[in-house]
Amino acid sequence: MSGNAAPLVAEGLSRSVDGEVHLAGVSLSLEPGRFYTLLGPTLAGKTSLLRVLAGLDPAQSGSMVMGGRDLLRAPVWTRSVAMVYQQFINYPHLTVHDNVAFPLRRAKRSAAEVDRTVRETAEKLGLTPFLGRKCSELSGGQQQRTALARALVKGADLLLLDEPLVNLDYKLREQLREEFVNLFSDKGSTIVVYASTEPLEALMLGGTVLVMSEGRLLQAGPAHEVFARPASEEVARIFNDPPMNLLDGAVSDGELILPGGIRKPTAGHLASLRPGRYRFGIRAGDIRVGGAGVPVRMELAEISGSVTYLHVSLDGAPLVIQQAGVHSHALGETIVADVDATALYAFAEDGRLAAAPAGGGEGGFRDGSWRESS
Amino acid sequence: MLRSRHLFLLPGLLALLAIILFPLLFTIRVSFSSWDVVLHAMDFIGGSNYARMMRDTRFWESLVRLVAMSAISVALEYVLGFALALLVWRDLRFKRFFRVLFLVPMMTTPVIMTVIWRTILHESLGPANHLLGLLGVAPVPWLSQAGAAAASVILVEVWQWTSFMFLLLLAGLLSLPREPFQAAAVDGAGPVRTFFSVVFPMMAPITIGALIIRLIEASKMMDSVYVLTQGGPGTATETSSYYIYIRGLRDFQIGYASSLSLTYLVIMIVSLTIVAKVLGRALLGRS
Amino acid sequence: MASLYRALKAAAILAWSAFVVAPFLWALTTSFKTANAVTSGPTYLPWLQYQPSLEGWRVLFRSYGQGIDIVGPYLSSLFVTVTASAVSLVLGTLAAYGLSRYTYRLGFLGNGDITFFFISQRIMPPIVLAIPFFLLLKFLGLLDTELGLVIVYVALLLPIAVWVMVDFFNNIPREVDETAMLDGCTPVETFWRVILPNCKPGLVVAGLFCIVFGWNDFFFAFTLTFTNTQLLPVAIVALNSSVTPWWSLSASGLVSVAPLVGVAVVLERYLSRGNLAGAIR
Repeated sequence: MSGNAAPLVAEGLSRSVDGEVHLAGVSLSLEPGRFYTLLGPTLAGKTSLLRVLAGLDPAQSGSMVMGGRDLLRAPVWTRSVAMVYQQFINYPHLTVHDNVAFPLRRAKRSAAEVDRTVRETAEKLGLTPFLGRKCSELSGGQQQRTALARALVKGADLLLLDEPLVNLDYKLREQLREEFVNLFSDKGSTIVVYASTEPLEALMLGGTVLVMSEGRLLQAGPAHEVFARPASEEVARIFNDPPMNLLDGAVSDGELILPGGIRKPTAGHLASLRPGRYRFGIRAGDIRVGGAGVPVRMELAEISGSVTYLHVSLDGAPLVIQQAGVHSHALGETIVADVDATALYAFAEDGRLAAAPAGGGEGGFRDGSWRESS
Repeated sequence: MLRSRHLFLLPGLLALLAIILFPLLFTIRVSFSSWDVVLHAMDFIGGSNYARMMRDTRFWESLVRLVAMSAISVALEYVLGFALALLVWRDLRFKRFFRVLFLVPMMTTPVIMTVIWRTILHESLGPANHLLGLLGVAPVPWLSQAGAAAASVILVEVWQWTSFMFLLLLAGLLSLPREPFQAAAVDGAGPVRTFFSVVFPMMAPITIGALIIRLIEASKMMDSVYVLTQGGPGTATETSSYYIYIRGLRDFQIGYASSLSLTYLVIMIVSLTIVAKVLGRALLGRS
Repeated sequence: MASLYRALKAAAILAWSAFVVAPFLWALTTSFKTANAVTSGPTYLPWLQYQPSLEGWRVLFRSYGQGIDIVGPYLSSLFVTVTASAVSLVLGTLAAYGLSRYTYRLGFLGNGDITFFFISQRIMPPIVLAIPFFLLLKFLGLLDTELGLVIVYVALLLPIAVWVMVDFFNNIPREVDETAMLDGCTPVETFWRVILPNCKPGLVVAGLFCIVFGWNDFFFAFTLTFTNTQLLPVAIVALNSSVTPWWSLSASGLVSVAPLVGVAVVLERYLSRGNLAGAIR
């Protein structure tokens, strides 16, 4: 089933259902052996794209070719694709062993080979003690592992995962995510596409990230690069959790002006900015409380893990500040916030990136567990 | 091109069409004739059968009677069926025995059981009046008085088909998730409140399905009438099916009976569709 | 308060049980009676109120004037019911799967309309179809034959199979079909190897319903058969003539009804195992 080491090239894939656009001219090129994260908010078109790639839903226009073979019109059962869904989908009437063996038996592999491959894969996913059990008797995590095992065992050209961890509890998600990094390090020539709404997953799993929103592919590139240099405001919003703060401002006379009267010299990476209006982006973790800043009004304090998120109002503009440690603040309280100019992004009026910090900034993440080193 | 989607639907659909298409077309054709097997040939008399039907009060009365008797029967079957399902649903000794027992009536042959009921309701030789007499109640003219005859038909129907409602509703109850009940228990709701605020709303879709299916079957009310009362006394229990049977297979006025049949069919399909939508909105639109 | 509640529950259950059992008990005692025991008013207890006799039962197994030979009709009913149910189940399950998984369009009619078409066949009162079926079978030379009845019953039972199975299929996520196809199964293989093995409870229920409704039909058997073929309900009702031999009537009634009690037991087993949750909705 595999061994067809050719890139998958798609051009202008479009799909609308009942007047609603699910995919709007998506073009991409997927290289064999690479790991791709499909990142975007809900209803961005991630599931639609995966299903079109798998051949489960038809695209109304565009083309999709792999190794000279037109995939757009090929029936599903003739392709070399594996898919893991959000819901735990397994063959209910079969044991774990037979579930994983199913695709191999369909491909008419020898009984000995089937048995060997199943045991190896089960071992990799910690399913060995459950091989004789029926799927309905398993926990959610074990069911999803079974689905994953069955998908891996095929050695398909294309492996698609549609937010596979989203229905598992927190601890299990963390655990499986770590295992994924190991699992997908050895993929042979398989193209792996992993859909997610969480930027953290994109960065943890590494590989190339494809940022999607409203049916369009916004940016594609190595995860850390896209994180450090989002091509547009939209990407910056999507690829940060909490979303990147965006403030209307301007550049004039060698200075950049932000709401609340914040003025910073246009130094470093900002020096190349021409005078005019911009939207400046700053991550929640790059705004410091206290110091030589400006007063902001507290709206809401959200404690998450070992970090507090302060939702404040800077002269009417909403801002989210990430403060290390657990603090309590009163509603309406005025605190002082200072923006770290070396971490400022500038986006031109058309939303495109105009300037980005050299190291990508010290962003931090919602659960405080990941930090990009500059 | 024969694709798999066709392979699945077509055999059944075509088989059904093949078997009923001729009867349907034939009935339509005959309804425009005055064919009665013996005297008249298959001629064409236009819509005079339908004109006759419009003036035929007996037919319209039978329709009203049918609606009344089926509505009452099905309503009773629903209430009793639900009550029974609730009774044997949880924690009860010999639960499974009673479930089997309550399922039995729907499995029996309606005609045969009705014959047995006929002997029970026999006014002088039957146990029904005898036992009532022991309790000091005057003998009931089960089969010879209009109101009582209708009640007898309904009695037999309810005996036979409550069991079917019971099956559907019990299956539904057994498939309900546990959590809302635990929540209600925590809130301190007693059995009555739990029923109205938890059980009944959750069973709404099943209620609708069960009522519709039962109404479809009940509207054909034929076996019980045929055996118990032959539509009598007079026409007190004459349902539309039975009246059409009289005109068609007793008087052999096939042409006329066909026009009655088609009209009946159209009325039933339209009414049942309306009932389905109304029930759907009433029970589901709210929750 | 709780014990009053429980007493009421018990009373209700016993009351309905009595109601259910009453006709059977009456038939049972009556089947052992003779003319004397019947014509002078209702009697209930054998040996105490009347002399029991096996006349009612003996009559069933030989053509004996007033009685009927019950074995013949029994086998006829069995053959016709089982054959028609099997055909209906196969065709109905296939159609139900199609309706569940694919979107059909016949002009402006869609899946919902097609399903409605199937189910609306049950609205047709037997009388509407009786005469045309009579003529159809006459034309095919199948009047008064078991095969003719099988054809007619398929039209009656197919909608039931479709009704039960469509709901059942709808409760299996479509993603399971997709996974099977991704694993290399054509749609037909998906149906046969993956979906169908999961439907055993649904098939059992649909099959049982078909058998019950088929076995218990009276009207069509009555109008479409006469002498060569005789189904059980017709044979028994034929006894409901002016000279009402209540005893053989009761005996034959009990005999015809007995096998279906077995069906009730099987159905209850599936019910209790929670397997019907998907089938009946």
